[in-house]
Amino acid sequence: MRNILIKELRLSASPITYFFIAFGLMFLIPGYPVLCAAFFVTLGIFFSFQSAREANDIVFSVLLPIAKSSVVKGKFLFVCLIELCSLVVMGLAVALRMTVLQNSPVYLENALMNANLFALGAALFIFGLFNWIFVGGFFKTAYQLGRPFVWYAAAAFLSIGVFETLHHIPGLEAVNAFGTKHIGLQMLLLAAGMALYAGMTLLSLQTACRRFERIDL
Amino acid sequence: METVEVRGLGKKYPSFELRDVSFAIKAGKITGFIGRNGAGKTTTIKAMLNLIHPDRGEVDYFSLPLIGNETEIKQRIGYSTGTLNWYPRKKIRDIAAIVRRFYSTWDDGLYRKYLEMFSLDEGKTPLELSEGMKVKVNLMLALSHRAQALILDEPTSGLDPFSRNELLDLFEQLKKEGTAVFFSTHIISDIERCADQIVYISKGRIVAALEKAEFAARLSEAGETLEDTMLRLERGDLNA
Repeated sequence: MRNILIKELRLSASPITYFFIAFGLMFLIPGYPVLCAAFFVTLGIFFSFQSAREANDIVFSVLLPIAKSSVVKGKFLFVCLIELCSLVVMGLAVALRMTVLQNSPVYLENALMNANLFALGAALFIFGLFNWIFVGGFFKTAYQLGRPFVWYAAAAFLSIGVFETLHHIPGLEAVNAFGTKHIGLQMLLLAAGMALYAGMTLLSLQTACRRFERIDL
Repeated sequence: METVEVRGLGKKYPSFELRDVSFAIKAGKITGFIGRNGAGKTTTIKAMLNLIHPDRGEVDYFSLPLIGNETEIKQRIGYSTGTLNWYPRKKIRDIAAIVRRFYSTWDDGLYRKYLEMFSLDEGKTPLELSEGMKVKVNLMLALSHRAQALILDEPTSGLDPFSRNELLDLFEQLKKEGTAVFFSTHIISDIERCADQIVYISKGRIVAALEKAEFAARLSEAGETLEDTMLRLERGDLNA
């Protein structure tokens, strides 16, 4: 697994994917839908899939002395690694906003969603959607990128809309908590995001391995 | 002992069918796989590499079925395609650095030897190489891990006569070292020049899989060259 991950990082990945990890810093932008950061990170990963396809990466990988399922696992490992790196960046931004910047007026007067632990959980949910709809969808054919990405983008923006709306619904204001307020709820929502991310990714991985085994290249 | 044995391969597409393809490849022999464009050469090779799933038939390498032993078998074989190239913007050095990680039999000394023999600059990218040089890169990667069988799809296509000659000389040398060389081509003179065995495919069916001398004895008419025989067969004698 280590070798296939190194192959993904050094041969298959587009440099722009690494650059797009920095979009996690959008969690610091006030008055901006912060979850778009998660979408941009996945857009960066999409570029790697695109450049890998142009480089005949899938056939190259299948011809290596590894199981076909390892090719799929390698892609998922790469995707998860990039997502988790960006999550660390987002986490740092959230930590700043929950501590030294918690009383900053630009954040307190922000009509849009606050970047707190719930936002991190929501970002994980969007990454899970990417892994489930796009990465899983890609392995139906191992060449078609456009259709699964359009479906993913639609689901991601719909989710962003829902997440942005939640704290405006009476009774749900606590999801937009500042600092360490409602910390129990915040942590619970982050844990829910983690569980959904893991569930969607593992489910997609299993389906992708099965599909990839069946297709002709 | 047969290095590779292909038995009864079949695959149906809407406009083409591979039917009952069977032949064997032996260690220390060069096997030429000949047929016109669209005859089924690449489909057969893809099935031999488990890139496509045949509807029927099996492929064994070193007496082991490909299905179920793919990882072990791929450690011992090399492949090259004349038409595909990998990572056009990555340096040969970087591609080789990744490939070597996957093979327990990788030999850096051999890698250097073939780099020099093929006059390859490892600082170049596939995009900067001619078609012939790309084939040589694939061959170098295959040979650097001591492949016991080489499966090559149209390795001589797109090569100038000098490079083709060099490549066929290399096949002869590998044969002497005991490697089984299997290459597809539609250039009959390549087969004439170096093949020990001929596998001839037409319209998805194997017409003959024989030693070169036996092939000529059975299928050629008096005074015919191999090329004349093939052209006559393709013109219609197959259906006669």
